Amino acid sequence: MMVCENCQELISDYIDGSLELGEQVQIERHLADCEPCRAVRDDLLQIVHFSHQLPLHAPSGALWTRIEGEVAQQRGHWFRSLPWLTWLRTRHFNLSLPQMAATAAAIVIAVSTVVLFARQERPAPQNAATGAAALGGLDVNPLSSSDFQQIEKQISQLSESVEQRKVEWDPELRSAFERNLLYVDQCLAECRHQLSDNPADYVSQELMLNAYREKVRLLEGFDNF
Amino acid sequence: MSKSNPRQLRPAIFTSSLILIAFCWLFVGSTGFAGPPSKFERSYTPQGSAHLTISNVNGRIRVTSWDKRTVSVRADAAPSVSIEDRVAGDDITVSVKRNFRLSRADFEVFLPAESSLLLRNVIGNIEVQGVTGHISVNSIDSDIRLLKVNSPSIDVKVTSGDIYFDGELREGGSYSFQSMRGDLDVTLPGSTPFNLNARALSENINLGGFLSNLTGTSRGTKGVSGNYLKGGSRLTLTTYDGRILLHKK
Repeated sequence: MMVCENCQELISDYIDGSLELGEQVQIERHLADCEPCRAVRDDLLQIVHFSHQLPLHAPSGALWTRIEGEVAQQRGHWFRSLPWLTWLRTRHFNLSLPQMAATAAAIVIAVSTVVLFARQERPAPQNAATGAAALGGLDVNPLSSSDFQQIEKQISQLSESVEQRKVEWDPELRSAFERNLLYVDQCLAECRHQLSDNPADYVSQELMLNAYREKVRLLEGFDNF
Repeated sequence: MSKSNPRQLRPAIFTSSLILIAFCWLFVGSTGFAGPPSKFERSYTPQGSAHLTISNVNGRIRVTSWDKRTVSVRADAAPSVSIEDRVAGDDITVSVKRNFRLSRADFEVFLPAESSLLLRNVIGNIEVQGVTGHISVNSIDSDIRLLKVNSPSIDVKVTSGDIYFDGELREGGSYSFQSMRGDLDVTLPGSTPFNLNARALSENINLGGFLSNLTGTSRGTKGVSGNYLKGGSRLTLTTYDGRILLHKK
């Protein structure tokens, strides 16, 4: 369960769209129930929106020179703080040919060992998942069924509210709502079907999560009629 | 031949008149005619770039850029429709008040090209032309057309309806088009670099002339990702029951 503190730490990344899917869902779940965090999100969104309107100012050449000077100074300080690195830099090595060959062989063996161990520790991905993850170019943890259950819970609350209001709508409005809800439900059913065939398919998971969000958007859109 | 008594005729005429009036009332009610349409007409002069929000329920929204500094919003609406506007600095919000009906209001907007736009609608087509500010469109049942736009960011979401885009992408910009049931038809200049992320549950993606220059491509049955001309702006296209079509200008 996410608390306000965690939510507000991550909310900036959430707005930038740089969070993993699982974290996004947790934030959205928290936002659905938390008015103060929603207010923070809305404030940040407004800041982002307005900041896009600000004119761009290029820094002056003098500023860059000052920054470069500072960086060079810091780098010097960093080198000084690591004595073995300074020793390594200032040291002159005179190696014979067999010594150089032995050193190279030792480096190759060390690197190969590290790579081999790293490969053994990583679980072999399933074929379908490999293709799907590569497609997105992302390494995202698949969503757990509890994440989907939480979104479904939010949808069920919204649906209940819309159902209560629906009785007062005129037939045209009701028909527009029901038609579009049917489209979204069909998409969700298709995603579920594809996921049941291949549970590790990342693209289907992504599309399913997106379809759930679309259903929330649709219900929220009709919730204020 | 018997002659009708005027005293006997009078109640009959009265009853017939009542029936006629009731019939007319029912007819008028059933056709939805309830008086002449109402008009909304406002002109705003923002100090800087305007941020315009139009929140409609049912009806067309057409936005066109012009070379004046003012923002002109006109709407032809059904008499039952109430339209409100609110101005805070350069933020202009025009909203149709929601009730239990899908009462119609058609909007015609003219604004300076650099204005930012947020358009909301339930039903009714949306068309934006010549805008260079941020664009966000949120609709349920509409076809969306964006023509000659050159915006730093665009976000279009529609549940059912086609999305048509013919414009330019800016370096580093973010462009997202999503429809659950509809085609995404995107036309771009061949010289525009972008990072593509296309998803179609229907497995119907046609990248046209862009496919040959797409590098780092990964292609699954439902999606294509890759960089065109080493990438630049982010182009995200998502449809479930529809096609993704990319054309070179």
